[in-house]
Amino acid sequence: MRSKTRVLIVDDEPDVLLTMRLILEAEGFTASLAADGETALRRIADEHPDVVLLDLMMPVLDGWFVLAELSQRVRRPYVVVCSAKTGNADRARAQDLGADEYVTKPFDPEDLVALIKTLLASARRPARI
Amino acid sequence: MDQLPVGINERIRHEAKVAGLRSKSKPSIEMVERRRMQLWLVVLVVMLGLGAAAVSVSMASGTASWITGQPWILAAAAAALAIGFCLYAVEKEVHLHRLSRLLVDERVLNSEMAKRLEMNSALSNAGKALNSVLDLDEVLDAILANALVLLGGSSGSVMLLEDEEYLRVVAIRGSEIGRDTRVHVGESIAGRVAQSREPLLVTQEVIDGELSGHADRVSAPLKAMCVPLENRGQLLGVLKISCSDDQEFDTVDLQVLSLFAEPVAAAIAKAGLYEAERAHVAQLLDSERMKTQFVASVGHELRTPITSIRGAVAASRRDIGAEKRIELMDMIERQSGRLQTMVEEILASARVDEDAGKPVLRRIDLSALVRLAALDSSVAGRPIEVIAPTSCEVRADPEAMRRILGNLIENAHKYGAEPVRVTVQQADTSVVMSVVDQGRGVAPDERERIFERFYRTDPNGIKPGMGLGLTIVRGLVESCGGTVWVEDAPGGGAAFRVSLRVRSNDELREAASAQ
Repeated sequence: MRSKTRVLIVDDEPDVLLTMRLILEAEGFTASLAADGETALRRIADEHPDVVLLDLMMPVLDGWFVLAELSQRVRRPYVVVCSAKTGNADRARAQDLGADEYVTKPFDPEDLVALIKTLLASARRPARI
Repeated sequence: MDQLPVGINERIRHEAKVAGLRSKSKPSIEMVERRRMQLWLVVLVVMLGLGAAAVSVSMASGTASWITGQPWILAAAAAALAIGFCLYAVEKEVHLHRLSRLLVDERVLNSEMAKRLEMNSALSNAGKALNSVLDLDEVLDAILANALVLLGGSSGSVMLLEDEEYLRVVAIRGSEIGRDTRVHVGESIAGRVAQSREPLLVTQEVIDGELSGHADRVSAPLKAMCVPLENRGQLLGVLKISCSDDQEFDTVDLQVLSLFAEPVAAAIAKAGLYEAERAHVAQLLDSERMKTQFVASVGHELRTPITSIRGAVAASRRDIGAEKRIELMDMIERQSGRLQTMVEEILASARVDEDAGKPVLRRIDLSALVRLAALDSSVAGRPIEVIAPTSCEVRADPEAMRRILGNLIENAHKYGAEPVRVTVQQADTSVVMSVVDQGRGVAPDERERIFERFYRTDPNGIKPGMGLGLTIVRGLVESCGGTVWVEDAPGGGAAFRVSLRVRSNDELREAASAQ
């Protein structure tokens, strides 16, 4: 049984990856990074994270593709979309594809940490990967 | 025909009555001729009768010279009768002659009126076409069809002035010439009319005389007529109608065609305005769409560095150690610099139109500037190859050139693919600097649009950007008196070329006067 919660941060902006890792590690999480959708899917398969912080606009495979891929799985991590796309249409589309939360950039990192904790504390999905 | 007598019917009736034509219906030319035949037949019979009577009387009296004989009274009476009857016949003939002239006039008048009615109806149809449809092709076709029916032509065409040198065929009926064919102004029938702006009637005589050895460029000379299409004194094109070999147009036909030219010219002007208005509305909608897209792009572009900055500040508040904190400070500096660059780009693109901050043009070494930019780019992790002469002077603003190069190199890395190469080529009066990448290149229909403000080739794509970079590049290049365009690079990819002048206008004038 794992002691630490694993969070996968997916963003094509290196500075966002770096700062979020520092913050999440300071909060006691284990953070891993992916700069594109393809790497993200590979890491999800290899590392079974509890939470995925997912950017939408990325090279190679974008966040939408990752969401669609995860939505077909029975057991999947919590997904918090973190995007600069602020439109309601994007928000609704992400929800349709099974995103648990939608956070628009720029976000307050403290709020994001609190959101992750609330999500993990909720017992909506008993079975985790 | 306008001087034809008014009340011609009354005069015909009067002459018919006097001439002895008493039929209830209006007399015809045939009736007049019949009456004439009858009259002269009666005259002949009477004269023969009188002659025979005179001879028989003379023989009965037994003398050879019967006029001086006994029955002279009888002879005198017969002569007087003959003269009187002749006078009567001549008087009737005068009236019959007048009557037949009046009848011929009436026929001509009727046929002229029929022609006018036909013309009015054709013109009215043309007018209807003009009002009911706004599509230029349909209007021109309808007008052309009406003109051909009325004038009995075998083929016709409308040609519009494309530029100062050429007319282009935009509507055709019959098979005289292909659509979109270009005709040189000054050559052939249509070209001559466009040049002279005078209607031209080409009869067999003209073909044999004036036009011999001056063959029509697009078809053999036909018997034709051609009129200029003018609207408010401006030449729009020409309208030409041709007829078959066994036909010939006359000056009246040419006048009718000139009448047609008016609605045609009005239709062209009106449809042109409509097309322009439609294009303008499309442009407005497009610019509105691009503005909306721009706001979304700017929003995205600004949000990303702010996310990093806020993350860095939040992280630095935690127990992360001095080394990490310094790294975060660097990050904040870098990301705020990125924000500053974006703000400057937005302001610079707004200035492109205002012509503010005019650059100071002076002679600079473009080769040196390119090498320096290559060094900066390599340091920033975007290596480029440089092919340039040792030194190459151009007239430009050094700061503007640095930004032009920086933007083009960044663009090549962002939208193209490595290797990115910058070349400098010297010509007589200009220098062409090219930034070439090995990417997919720019589609032909986007080659001008990518220089428009806010335009992005991938509006929903993942490439960062606000659609301002190339707008700024064009503004800066033009402020240096140069031009910028994009074309396919040899072997694929995009080649952005900037042409700059080596000398100023004053220097060119001085050089010319020195020679």
